[in-house]
Amino acid sequence: MAHQSPAEIDNPTFGERFNAVAAWPMRVLFGLLETPFRALQRILGIGRMPYIFLLPNLAFFGIFVIVPLIINFAFSVTGGDELFLNERPYVGGEQYSYLADCGSYLDPQSCREDRFWRGIYNTITFVFFQVAFMVLFSLVTALILNREIRGRGFFRAAFFFPVLLSPVVVALIWKWILLRDGVLNAGLTSIGFERILFFVDPTWSMFWAIFVSIWAHMGFYTLILLAGLQAIPPDLYEAAEMDGTKRERVFWRITLPLLWPNLLVVIVLALIKAVQIFDEVFVLTGGGPGTATQFIVQYIYTTGFANQVQNFGLAAAASVVLGVVLFVLTLVQLAVTRRKEDG
Amino acid sequence: MTEIILKDVRKAYGDVEVIHGIDLSIDSGKFVVFVGPSGCGKSTLLRIIAGLEGVTSGDVVIDGDVVNAQPASERGLAMVFQSYALYPHMSVYKNMAFGLENSKMPREEIEKRVNDAASMLQITPYLKRRPKALSGGQRQRVAIGRAIVRDPKAFLFDEPLSNLDAELRVAMRKELAGLHAKLGGTMIYVTHDQVEAMTLANTIVVLNAGRIEQVGAPLDLYNRPQNTFVAGFIGSPRMNLVDAAAEASDGRIELVTGPQRIAISSSIRITRSDKITFGARPEHIEIVDEKDADIAATVDLSEQLGGETYLYCTPEGMPQLTVHQLGQLPVHRGQEIHLRFDRAAMHLFDGDGRVIANGIPQ
Repeated sequence: MAHQSPAEIDNPTFGERFNAVAAWPMRVLFGLLETPFRALQRILGIGRMPYIFLLPNLAFFGIFVIVPLIINFAFSVTGGDELFLNERPYVGGEQYSYLADCGSYLDPQSCREDRFWRGIYNTITFVFFQVAFMVLFSLVTALILNREIRGRGFFRAAFFFPVLLSPVVVALIWKWILLRDGVLNAGLTSIGFERILFFVDPTWSMFWAIFVSIWAHMGFYTLILLAGLQAIPPDLYEAAEMDGTKRERVFWRITLPLLWPNLLVVIVLALIKAVQIFDEVFVLTGGGPGTATQFIVQYIYTTGFANQVQNFGLAAAASVVLGVVLFVLTLVQLAVTRRKEDG
Repeated sequence: MTEIILKDVRKAYGDVEVIHGIDLSIDSGKFVVFVGPSGCGKSTLLRIIAGLEGVTSGDVVIDGDVVNAQPASERGLAMVFQSYALYPHMSVYKNMAFGLENSKMPREEIEKRVNDAASMLQITPYLKRRPKALSGGQRQRVAIGRAIVRDPKAFLFDEPLSNLDAELRVAMRKELAGLHAKLGGTMIYVTHDQVEAMTLANTIVVLNAGRIEQVGAPLDLYNRPQNTFVAGFIGSPRMNLVDAAAEASDGRIELVTGPQRIAISSSIRITRSDKITFGARPEHIEIVDEKDADIAATVDLSEQLGGETYLYCTPEGMPQLTVHQLGQLPVHRGQEIHLRFDRAAMHLFDGDGRVIANGIPQ
């Protein structure tokens, strides 16, 4: 360390003075804490002390995650429309068997709770197309943005920008574009086409729900894939070039296998996010027309809170089902991430 | 057997020219080493030959054909990269077979070539492993094997040993020399390590700032450097180079540096006497008695390596000199010693750094 001249010691900088002042209360605080913590350490032993420091965070996690999970499960095994658990009769697995009561699982109309099954089928359709196309578009975009193209920085920012918007803003922007008198229909009629009532047609509604969701989220996945592409050493491409490898073969045999761990993470994250789809589509289509774009989370929300009869028990049971699905997907994601780290 | 010729090759990135017109002929079957400090353009030149970089002007000629417009894949050359550039998701076998599969070679032929190369490089037990399960030296062998199986017109090596530890580097150096003797192909090798250059090359090309400083056999460059750059770059520890003025005195020439005057034979023709540089390699400076000495110097540091000793000593008014002596010398820091420059191995350069004489008559 360089020696300080007397002048430097006499004239401390602002930072040094600030630190000296700020350090004083900290020293007092640590002084106050030292005695009880030393006592605690004597009682518990040093090996258990980390748990003491984790306790505040664990307490928050417990109160806001674990306890609600337990309460939710408790609601799912009770019936009636009372709010307080102690006033609700225990019904065991009745809510679950009610949800599962179907003539044929392939036909939602044959189910007692057809809205739940419609929600499930809608969600499956949504997840399938949204994840497939989003991963595809993200991959193509990342591949293009990874090349030396003009305005690359601008395009990277432009594709990421929608990720920063709140889902409601995203939905409102697209509603403004897609409504009966929206920007898109104005454009269509100005070039001689008939206006299309996008939100009246079930297929169009589902299409736009998927499209808007892809638009809003693909920037994030593009970024992950772009990072993966940039992590592939350029030497490998040069080696492939020296090896006389054709471009398509370079993609299939080098880029894709090396990007695969990132791609897997993107697929699983997109799956988890897509299964939970609610806010954007709820604002955009309201789940309509009819139940054409009503997904499982919207079903839970309307069953539990928005219907005239608030069926907390059924909503809680559906939440548990959704929770199990998400838990499985999360396990897959963890396994994938771990494999990526090991790989 | 392949001959590679570079004709006035220039390379610029935007307005910045990094290769300033290189003319070079690489004879078939030769082991040619491009050597020079970082940023001298040696790797760029190799990449230009490989086809990974284009030329701004000039021609690259391989076996009589100008290949400027030919992509790397069609030049028939193989390259070993500094980072090895092994495909991490493929086994060693697949890494070596990949290029051959691209050319749609029959499977039996691929298998034969890979197995032959693997046994030559002693990597047969690792053929099923992925590169990450190999040591640095083994990876290097795989990278060389990948080049060998393609039976290329020439091998290009881009600092292939710089990621290895010192011991392994020496071992691999020997293996590479052996490999060249066995395969006999044209090899171009880039390194910044002049020891690698001296030990491996038939011909060394010394590059500096995008220009060739000198081309020649290793000992040719060592004994007869054409300028101060080559004199300083080739040889380890580097040659002692001292700026001096040359003055005529009593039928002799005196090299004057500070208060020191070193007399040399007047048979050397010095046209610009005002500023010259004289050079002496550490092993060409002797420790002698005061009466036979050119100069006296004070020892700053002595490195005793057992079989040899390096002394770092400063004569009055001169820069520090490195002196190499065989055996163990009982000298200590601060001790005064007397030195004499071996005239036959002394080098003289003019004010522009160009050689005047390599060796001075007694």
